[in-house]
Amino acid sequence: MPKHRVAVIGVGETVFKTKIDDKTYVELAQDAAKAALDDAGLTPTDIDAIVFSMAPTQFMGVNDVDKWAVDSIWASGKPFMRVHTGGATGGSALHAGYAHVASGMYRTVLVVGADRVTETRDAQHILNLIWDPFYEQDFALNTVTMTALSTQRYMHKYGTTEEQYARVVVRSRKNALKNPYAHLKGNITVEDVMNSPRMSWPYKLFDICPRSAGAAALVLANQEVTKERCSRPAFINGIGGTTSTVFMGDRVGPRTDAELSDEAEFVSAGKEAYADAAITNPIKQIQVVELYDPFSSVQFPQLESLGFCKRGEAQNLSDEGAFDMGGLLTVNPSGGTLCSNPIGVTGLVRVADAALQVMGKAGEGQVAGVQNALATAIGGSVQFVNCTILGADHV
Amino acid sequence: MDTYILGLAMHPPSPWIVDKRLEEMVFDTAKAALDSAGIARKELDHITIAACDELDGRSISSMLLSAPAGAYLKDEIKTTDSGLIGLCLEALRIESGRFHLGLLSSWNKSSKAPFEDVMRMRCEPFYTRDIGLNASIADGLFARAVKGAYGICESDVNVAVQASYEQASKNERGMRSAVPSLAEIEASPYVSVPLRKIQQAPVTDGGVSMVVCSGKWLSDHPDRRPLARLSGLAWRIDDYQLGEERLSKLHGFAETFRKAIAMSGLQDCSQLDLIELDGQTGFHEVAYRRVLNPPPTCQVSPSGGPFAQNPYFCTGLVHAAEAVLQVSGRAGAVQVKGAKRAAAHGCHGFAQQGNAIAVFEGV
Repeated sequence: MPKHRVAVIGVGETVFKTKIDDKTYVELAQDAAKAALDDAGLTPTDIDAIVFSMAPTQFMGVNDVDKWAVDSIWASGKPFMRVHTGGATGGSALHAGYAHVASGMYRTVLVVGADRVTETRDAQHILNLIWDPFYEQDFALNTVTMTALSTQRYMHKYGTTEEQYARVVVRSRKNALKNPYAHLKGNITVEDVMNSPRMSWPYKLFDICPRSAGAAALVLANQEVTKERCSRPAFINGIGGTTSTVFMGDRVGPRTDAELSDEAEFVSAGKEAYADAAITNPIKQIQVVELYDPFSSVQFPQLESLGFCKRGEAQNLSDEGAFDMGGLLTVNPSGGTLCSNPIGVTGLVRVADAALQVMGKAGEGQVAGVQNALATAIGGSVQFVNCTILGADHV
Repeated sequence: MDTYILGLAMHPPSPWIVDKRLEEMVFDTAKAALDSAGIARKELDHITIAACDELDGRSISSMLLSAPAGAYLKDEIKTTDSGLIGLCLEALRIESGRFHLGLLSSWNKSSKAPFEDVMRMRCEPFYTRDIGLNASIADGLFARAVKGAYGICESDVNVAVQASYEQASKNERGMRSAVPSLAEIEASPYVSVPLRKIQQAPVTDGGVSMVVCSGKWLSDHPDRRPLARLSGLAWRIDDYQLGEERLSKLHGFAETFRKAIAMSGLQDCSQLDLIELDGQTGFHEVAYRRVLNPPPTCQVSPSGGPFAQNPYFCTGLVHAAEAVLQVSGRAGAVQVKGAKRAAAHGCHGFAQQGNAIAVFEGV
């Protein structure tokens, strides 16, 4: 158990879209920071330390870009660190911020980040460079082809159809209609998804997230500050993370420790977080999940590994509407990563959207009666995973 | 603080480690640290990594390097500021009460990447990048600023550089480079006026790992004896813009030092037996000394500092390792007799925008 309780008391997000040409990178980060501070009723001088969330800087072209943002986010003169675990960065940054407050060394921490994925003309080229230069780069691996391979394996194991993935996209875009910050949104049909251009089997264009620019920030506080400043905080009751091997071939077959297509690293990460948060029956105790789902196929294995249902069941529950707004478990009421993906902060956006649900501030997308919400993040070759449990009450 | 160093290892430095891939360097160092602590990887409950994609030469370098750093199926987080900031994150995780036994690893193989190009790309694209600013030029600007602010003469700098090389030549964990004469230092070419080539610590490859545990873990394992207790820790970032104030006043360094010392329950550096400074150039070394004004009882950089080895990204963590070795009586030929309290300094970020200080006590 942590030495000190930690809560989210302020949330800030910018809109997410392909390009934000009227702002620099550091101005985007500032917008999110200011929004989070305003939401918490704090000023920059109230913040004790800063954690910056940023994944590969190659997307936007300035090494150590977080240092450029220092003056814009009022960090000068304060403890500051950047966290980077690929796509899982936002979740890891949140966990680092949590450690700041839980340690008792800091009362308030601003976790903030921004990304501009479209500063590079070809994000998937950058994402090809994450692979080993001797063995893997020449195979045209990138995050699309990588997850397409594991999706094929999942479909083979559980008989999942492309239409079932298409229904995930339809639900996400519909949910995003109620999220003012979402990049992609709209009422589309399964046929629209099925008829979108083929990218890498089984993916069509609509199965894949957009490349987004935008920023997000959270203010974390100890119990004393929380009590003074926030009548309805989101307590961080559980954290968990698991790192796996980069090599996908080592994650398939009967003797693997964590099966690639099942995203089985979430089993241990979830177990850690559930133990912290005293969650023994996730489907009964958790009302909302904000899953890191840059592809339509990423939700089902996560839900299964996190214990919301048995292996191979998520696709049928999805078809039955169990994951719709107000269903058995509301999955990605914000629209999720499928609708907005500013990679360096996507994991933080997941926590932000989950926190808003617990704090009752999710606007038109609010789910009634949220006591516990779970947020996830994934990075690398689906090898860095983490999850965070937020609760209306502390454990 | 209730955080302890249980074991550590440093990879032998070299200007260019050619006989190993980076993942082999990382594995060897992490394994050696675990062995030094008598800990099996399965006992660890978390991993902290400090590494730089750009210096490692690939995006998300921890994809390949997390497993060699011991993170397979462990809860792992990476920071990108510096090795010593990695220790800050590791200590926070331990101090949170959520984790109790971790392995921290940081490395630098900048022989793989064009170092000054990486530094130049840290400049934002609107103002400073077109000027061609890089690490050497930023250090030259720093040298010029502190020269005026502290009345530093070139001869002071040259004597300090020679003294650092002399001390470094005794350190078996360092490069043991030849000690230059004052005439050689004076005659070396300018890289950025007033900074000369030999006044800069050469960048090397290298790495360091530490096994870190909580007091609770030690209570549960009374047969284990730590090397040192981390008694104070502070870090801070300063302005990105290279104004006169930022370059010459050393507010960040002084304030970070003051906070770390205070956390240790000390008043000033007279209560330390030694401090390992991150003097990347002779100008840095002299300027830091002017700010701290350490008494003769507090030895400065007995390891030779960055002139012993300078795996740039993790040099501050190397200094922390040297400080731990000192307070545990394991520093070999550079041991400060009876050392009980030691501080380690690291700089990081754009033109040494950030400072971190860790204070260790013998146990």
